[in-house]
Amino acid sequence: MLTDRKRLGLLVLLGGGLTLLLWYFSPWAVPHRIFGGEGVLLNPFGHHLPQGSLPQGYRDGWLYPIFYLSLAWLGLSLLLPWTKAAPKGLYWAGALGLGLFLLTYLLFQGSVAQVNAGAERPVLRRFSLGLGSYATLAYSLYLLLLARVFSPGGLAFLVRRRGVVVPLFSLLLASGIGGVIVAVLKESPGEAQGLRESLMLKLDLITYTYQLLYSPLVNPSGFLQSLLLATPLVFTGLAVALGFRGGLFNIGASGQLILGAIAAMLVGVYLPGPRWLVLPLAILAAALAGGLWGALPGWLKARFGAHEVINTIMLNYIAASLFLFLISANEYKFFGRTLYLPFKYPGYEARSYEIRPEARIPHWTDLVAPGGELSFALPLALLLGLLGYFLVRKSLGHRVLGALLLGAGGYLVGGLLPGPEVAFGPDLTSVRLNGAFLLALGALFFFHFYVFRTVGGYELRALGLAPKAAEYGGVRAGQKMVWVMFLAGALAGLAATHYVLGGGIDEYRLKQSLPYSVGFDGIAVALMGQNTPLGVGLAAWLFGILLTGGLQVNLQLGISRELVSVLQALIVLFVAAGGFLPRYFTDPLRAAEVELKAEKEVKE
Amino acid sequence: MSLDAAFLTALLLSTLRQTTPLLLTALGGMFSERSGVVNIALEGILLFGALTAAVVVERLEAALGPGPHPWLPWVGVLAAMGVGGLVAFVHALVSIKYRADQIISGTALNLLALGAPSLVLTYFYGNATSSKEVANRLPLWGPEGFQLSPLVYLAFLLVPLTWWVLFKTPFGLRLRAVGEHPEAADTLGVNVYRMRYTGVVLSGILAGLAGAYLAIGFLNQFVRGMSAGMGFIALAAMIFGKWHPVGILFSTLLFGFASALAIQLQGTEILPAVLVQAFPYVVTVLVLAGFIGRSRPPAAVGKPYEK
Repeated sequence: MLTDRKRLGLLVLLGGGLTLLLWYFSPWAVPHRIFGGEGVLLNPFGHHLPQGSLPQGYRDGWLYPIFYLSLAWLGLSLLLPWTKAAPKGLYWAGALGLGLFLLTYLLFQGSVAQVNAGAERPVLRRFSLGLGSYATLAYSLYLLLLARVFSPGGLAFLVRRRGVVVPLFSLLLASGIGGVIVAVLKESPGEAQGLRESLMLKLDLITYTYQLLYSPLVNPSGFLQSLLLATPLVFTGLAVALGFRGGLFNIGASGQLILGAIAAMLVGVYLPGPRWLVLPLAILAAALAGGLWGALPGWLKARFGAHEVINTIMLNYIAASLFLFLISANEYKFFGRTLYLPFKYPGYEARSYEIRPEARIPHWTDLVAPGGELSFALPLALLLGLLGYFLVRKSLGHRVLGALLLGAGGYLVGGLLPGPEVAFGPDLTSVRLNGAFLLALGALFFFHFYVFRTVGGYELRALGLAPKAAEYGGVRAGQKMVWVMFLAGALAGLAATHYVLGGGIDEYRLKQSLPYSVGFDGIAVALMGQNTPLGVGLAAWLFGILLTGGLQVNLQLGISRELVSVLQALIVLFVAAGGFLPRYFTDPLRAAEVELKAEKEVKE
Repeated sequence: MSLDAAFLTALLLSTLRQTTPLLLTALGGMFSERSGVVNIALEGILLFGALTAAVVVERLEAALGPGPHPWLPWVGVLAAMGVGGLVAFVHALVSIKYRADQIISGTALNLLALGAPSLVLTYFYGNATSSKEVANRLPLWGPEGFQLSPLVYLAFLLVPLTWWVLFKTPFGLRLRAVGEHPEAADTLGVNVYRMRYTGVVLSGILAGLAGAYLAIGFLNQFVRGMSAGMGFIALAAMIFGKWHPVGILFSTLLFGFASALAIQLQGTEILPAVLVQAFPYVVTVLVLAGFIGRSRPPAAVGKPYEK
């Protein structure tokens, strides 16, 4: 058994060695990238220059002092574990590394700005730091982590946060494998001389792929697009998560979504009436239809013991058939007789008639700035709603009621206030993000309150954790099962509001291109989010970002967008395996043991 | 349409063809579940097997040049079985060694099978939905007018063989023991983990074989999502067949018949094709609801074993 000090020394050595390798083999910065993804790669041991020389006017002088500083810092960090105040020293080293990274970033930006400043059109485009600099950042964070873990009670610190550690570690592992896949499937652009340069090109290719995948974070239209793609994922993620909480595996979110979409279309197209009546009815219809489709396998399980996994999958296929039946043609032959349906819009494409304007969910620009004027209605409603919830100090029902009333008041007052005029560019208005996003946020709140703050939710969780104990405690298991599946189905059905009522698929119609496979993505969202509302929201957003970025990867590098779904699948697999971490990260009993031990440690 | 002899022969042949992948996969699933591991990844393994068979055969054709190579499809079959076994091994590793929820682990592999083929297809063929057609398919055996792929015969021959392995050999006894009562089996010196790995990998090999049949026996290329839920239907058939080879034979024949009937009805004026396609899935739901109460799964199925 190694002593703590030796183990710490080894871990630091391992991280430091890896960092050194990355410094040697990967580009530190990419001041310019030509079409096809090949970049001007800067490395203190020798650059990769596509045109044979540095871009005109570019100075790489900043790189060398940074490199020697970094080297000195790394050497220092390797010695620290053997000094007296090891954890504390590592904190300092980590902080120093963060500063070093910041310095690198600033110097690099400065060097690029110097060239671009004088020119009319920017000379250097698509510039960014490279893996070498990111290695500095990663190593700093690693040092900080080690410092915390090797302080008293450090392991318990990690184990207590296992709900975050396991998904993040799985994401990291999956990203690593994704990098290998990219390296294998895609030839690196540009010609290289020698092993170091060809490795540098490969590593840059991988880095560039991930930069593109996460690029929606830093550009406004990509950001909106990521929220757009996250909206249905929130609903389906919650649909799966609710099932998990109740001990049921709901793989049927796809089918439930389809039924919700059909119902939303039926109400939205064929029910005349004023907006305040038709829109809520259309939304309710989507939830109800999805819920009933979900309740069916719940009932089959409660009544006949038929496994919900296979049944929900079969119902997905059946729903898809039903969906096509309704919108792909208007004339069908049944035993020689002809049946006429009214649903398909004339023309080649399989799609329904348009949703009536009264039943449409408004586009985001109409919510944020109706008539071109910034509206305070929604922000004020949210603010007052939160105030109402936290100021009313009574039972949950009172608090929610107070929040709703104050929120509604805020909406009215905010709507009357005059706002400044704003205009959005076409790249932003063309993103079809709509009010369904707010519904998704509402669904997250609903999930939180229902599952963690009500008796019904308590029973649901009890049923999931220990079915027999729950039944003994008075939960009617069969009924509850049907109810859980109904609620899960209703959540999945609500995803249809985004697609059909909100025009998420290019038009305000039910179309054959309805991407109902987001029902399966919901499994990844639920697992990544550990079945908590906050987690599901963040995981849905993460996948929204990756899916948006996947489009860029496809456009610029020619790698199939399915890279993202492979990443999703790997994340599910790794989360299921507890991130291959030690048992105390997955087993609550062992986790408790670790925490008890840590408490003793800290007291000593 | 009349119920003449030609129609009935076509229906029979179609039933046998549709039953084959279900039968192979269900027999595989039986090995896995009898050892105590639910393998819902079979659907994905079918796809991986089909992809492997189609791509390996097509690539070898491209390398070897034109001309019939009668042995070539068999290389594809072997490769598909290998890859199927490998994917199943991942499932086994994650769910036996790392005690993951077996259904989640299987679902992850199914999700992988939805995305990974597109990456491979884009790499080789520049499109994300199908592979190039292969020239060397599996041969057809049998008298004129009643010709079937050798894998069809193999699937039906496997029924008595698996019965013999499962009920008449020490291996079969041990496999069933670790699925029913792993503690007891362990006490008697049976290596529970090894038996479970074997069961799961066997299921993957058989599902890979079924995938190869789909890609280079039934069709001559890989098409995205070509398994269309067959892996899940096979699992339902295995439950309906009470985890027994003979039961599985009859239940897969029922599902095969449902699919064949759906295919024969397409293009007629009896029922619309889009609805008829859902027929096998409806049958699955009905069958599971009607009969599962009377069948009993292996007692330890789905539970990770800890020494």
